[in-house]
Amino acid sequence: MPEQPQYLMAIDLERCTGCHACSVACKVENQVPLGNFRTKVYYYDEGEYPRVRRSFLPVVCMQCADAPCLKACPTKSIRRDADGIVRIDTQTCVGHGKCEEACPYGAIYVDPRRNIADKCDFCSHRLEVGMAPACVETCPSGALVFGDANDPASDIRRFQARYQAELSVLKPEEKTEPQVSYRGLRPDWEKKVPKGRNHDPRSYEIDTWAELRSEFGGEEKVHE
Amino acid sequence: MSERDAKLASGSRSTGDLDRRGALRIGIGALASLALGECIVLRPGETAAAANLAARRPGQPGIPKVPHDYRRATQVTGVCLNCSTVCGVVGHVIDGQVVKLAGNPNDPNNGSTLCAKGQSGVTIAHYPERLLYPLRRVGRRGQGIWRRISWDEAFAEMTRRIGVCLEADKPEQVAIHYGRSRISDVIDRFMSAIGSPVVLNHRALCSLHKRAANYATLGDTDWETVDAAQTKYLLNFGSNFYEAHQGHIHFLKRVIRGRYDNGAKLVTFDVRLSNTAGRSDEWFAPFPGTEGAVALAMAHTMLAAGQYDRAFVEHWTNVSVDQLREFLKPYSAAWAASLSGLAADDIERVALEFARCRPACAAFTNRGSHAHYNGLNNDRAVILLNALAGSIGRPGGYCYGEAERVDPAVYPPPQPLPPKPRRRTDLEDPPEYPLANLWQKMKVGELVYDYLQRRRAVVQVYFSYTLGSPTTWPEGRSLAADVLANEELIPFHVCSDVVYSETAHLADLILPDATYLERWGLDTRNSYEFQPYITLRQPMTAPPGECLSFADVLIRLGRRLGTSVSQYFQFADHQAYVRHQCQHIPPGDCDDGFAYLRKHGAWVDASRPPNRGSFRRQLSAAELTGTSTDEATGVIYRTGDDDRREPIGVVVKGRAMRGFKTPSRKLEIYSSVVAAQAGKVGIVDDGWPRYVPVPSHHDLPEDRFILTTFKWNVHTQARTAAQKYLSEIVHDNPLWINAATASRLGIRSGDLVEITTYRPKGDTYRATGEPIGSAQIRAFVTEGIHPRVLAVSNSLGHHFGGRAATGTRAALPDSPGFDAAVLPDDPDLAESLWWDARDGGRGPGVNINAILPIQPAPLTGMQAWFDTVCSIRKFRT
Repeated sequence: MPEQPQYLMAIDLERCTGCHACSVACKVENQVPLGNFRTKVYYYDEGEYPRVRRSFLPVVCMQCADAPCLKACPTKSIRRDADGIVRIDTQTCVGHGKCEEACPYGAIYVDPRRNIADKCDFCSHRLEVGMAPACVETCPSGALVFGDANDPASDIRRFQARYQAELSVLKPEEKTEPQVSYRGLRPDWEKKVPKGRNHDPRSYEIDTWAELRSEFGGEEKVHE
Repeated sequence: MSERDAKLASGSRSTGDLDRRGALRIGIGALASLALGECIVLRPGETAAAANLAARRPGQPGIPKVPHDYRRATQVTGVCLNCSTVCGVVGHVIDGQVVKLAGNPNDPNNGSTLCAKGQSGVTIAHYPERLLYPLRRVGRRGQGIWRRISWDEAFAEMTRRIGVCLEADKPEQVAIHYGRSRISDVIDRFMSAIGSPVVLNHRALCSLHKRAANYATLGDTDWETVDAAQTKYLLNFGSNFYEAHQGHIHFLKRVIRGRYDNGAKLVTFDVRLSNTAGRSDEWFAPFPGTEGAVALAMAHTMLAAGQYDRAFVEHWTNVSVDQLREFLKPYSAAWAASLSGLAADDIERVALEFARCRPACAAFTNRGSHAHYNGLNNDRAVILLNALAGSIGRPGGYCYGEAERVDPAVYPPPQPLPPKPRRRTDLEDPPEYPLANLWQKMKVGELVYDYLQRRRAVVQVYFSYTLGSPTTWPEGRSLAADVLANEELIPFHVCSDVVYSETAHLADLILPDATYLERWGLDTRNSYEFQPYITLRQPMTAPPGECLSFADVLIRLGRRLGTSVSQYFQFADHQAYVRHQCQHIPPGDCDDGFAYLRKHGAWVDASRPPNRGSFRRQLSAAELTGTSTDEATGVIYRTGDDDRREPIGVVVKGRAMRGFKTPSRKLEIYSSVVAAQAGKVGIVDDGWPRYVPVPSHHDLPEDRFILTTFKWNVHTQARTAAQKYLSEIVHDNPLWINAATASRLGIRSGDLVEITTYRPKGDTYRATGEPIGSAQIRAFVTEGIHPRVLAVSNSLGHHFGGRAATGTRAALPDSPGFDAAVLPDDPDLAESLWWDARDGGRGPGVNINAILPIQPAPLTGMQAWFDTVCSIRKFRT
């Protein structure tokens, strides 16, 4: 009897090329509506001409060991399973949206047409049949590393062996114990990632690249 | 208060009453407190968000999503065609629908990975605005009124129109113009069968100079294969392979391994901070068109420092070290610095870093250096760096294969084959550009509409296929669209397309095409594993409605056109044609080679060892039988039946070697071919890859800038805009302007600016320097661009192509070409398309090619995209 798997992901920002393949693979795989995201890639430009650098930050659900969404759900529709994945029970979720408000990572949205909360679950329906999450499978640069922490031969264990000392998590101050870690993450980049709402679709617009903020729709103008 | 605002305020575009608590929660609070008579301007996307909220019913039971059940899925292999990289794919098919694509692990280039465009492929197959039925124009051309017709009616009219040309002995009045087809063998067969040479393409708008530089220098290939996984130094002259290079992720994957697992350094020269430039170890922005000067100065530096492979230059190039030294003498780093604006120290330092990694180093190009007036020599100068480093054909170096096409000798099409047409016209063979068709039929596509307008050729029947010329051509919205709309210049226009494009809008007959997930074909690219391979494009599902692949259209048309034509189409369909091509592929674990490809998707010819460049191969005794050697040059010739001497090798260090496929059988730094062809059209060219200044940039006034264009990682030229998940990521293309420049001009991000473009100068088309057009566009102020360069992406600004392409949130429009019973509407497009400009979103962007001048480079006809001179003024804050 094999040991219960413990699924982990690590994102190597050095290798990421900002190609959005993870985002699009995720949207196709999980039929994510326009305007909402389970997986999103942020860009950050810094420096002055001619010394300018661009960095990329892919964000998925962090599968927190201490998940705020789980505690916020009024219908107890979110659970953390033995394999480490935080899942939403689509049979009991009635779309209150408290989970979206509680999430520090913009990872959850309430599907506007289905009235059900939705987020990354490492493509659990693919894991069940032995397939890797859609984003991991397609990542051209090998920036997304995934696997079973209990399997010494897994990609994630090999990656950890090589880079363990360089790994960190997003928003450690939230004390959510994320199970997704990053290599090459700079703390100020987390300002790109919204808290209390799903990723702002406008944060893809090019003129947000050099900014370290997560919301782009706050200033309503009212006039006659 | 505008009508649009009123509409927003009244909520008429929402689907129900607004949930005010919800509105407050996501921060569009103004909606909740709106009083009668007040008006609100919503920020981008908020109307869509409001509509979504309106549909939300917190506390009410939801509708669970059904995840793809892969236990019920079948897997069918295929080949992507969302860009020209043609990655092998696997489609997961459930209930007759392709629900998901993955990379094909059997494809040696991409394996199980795909880019964003590749992943998006399924959305175009299910796009509600796909054309499903043949349509015949009603009323004026371009009026947009269509009648659904049967395929029989469509074929009858095409047969009659072509028949008139054939009866009048004017087969050359039938033309086919395609963008990226991957069925050029079938197109050539059809056109040869009717006797027309007028097969037009887009190569001169794309990769002509790069290909020509490789042909002139190496002879064997038009596209190098940099051995990036094993390299130590990559010198990138303007290729944005992180986003859009042909061979995009094939190359990218290996660069990532080379950099992060093998310690390679990447240095990029680009006028704009592409993702490639932004992630390089060093980025340099030379003034546009001076890339060749920088490369020549690097060569000068390497030679002066003695940091080069002397043996390679002496034995394998057609010039001596002394000749090379003499040629490079004026090209010092200080000279290149004065032209490019880069620091001489940087040019020298990078040149020597590169040289010290030899031979595991490669200098390469794509677009950035070559889409210029002087682009041919720019790219030749870059290849020269590899010759000096001795990295040609070496592990980690500048390599090339020999089997990068679907070779009819290996993959034979059904017999008999029609003879090549004997006629010629200026359309496909423009006499002013002797290098356009010398090595490969690259044509000069950007001049086709001008030549038609000037009656340099007459066309009666014009087929367009995968061609977006009104949006993707320079002067597309003016000249290309005008000529396409002119019923005298083009009496009959047949367009095969997947969506109702701008080209389709200007057609008389629209044929609904099958997507690349629903049709046949063999495909291949240069192998980054250095062994030839072939992939099979096959239908994963049947085409919906009455869609029919253009290859099958031509085959059926050929069979209707009388025996002189139909004799070449004595096979059932394109599937039968492809099956015939597979006869020499080993069956492996299947019944035959065709079945093998259908199952595995790809076949690698592992019988041959990996080959990074065969010039060092010694010729066998059999190959040398009946040959003669020129004592002076060492070139080994075979005399053919027609008494023509064909060079087949060269004597190097006393041994008979295969050499390069050039006249000298050596790597040609000096090109007698270029010199001779230039002489034919009265241009003086000494045959050396000397630096040629761009005439339009001479004495550029302070208030003039260079306008450059580029591709995003989620879009190809025109075909991806109709794919919702890609356009959701990039739908807008503001004008990039350097922060210091913008500050001087008082321009801030978001300001509306007006740019005016000017015609070129020099030996090119309409070289008047006069204004050509203006565009109003939003400014994007950035540190990531050269201070004298402005940049606007192409691929956007569509007027047609459906809601995803035009950025329109609306119900599925009525069209006799659509059928919701076959492809149901997508509520995403009807309700959630959040970037609609009418909702305050950014909209679908600007078509910048409309104001880019046609500017073919001398000798080749390559469109000098990145030379455009423009001015800018603030239009509105």
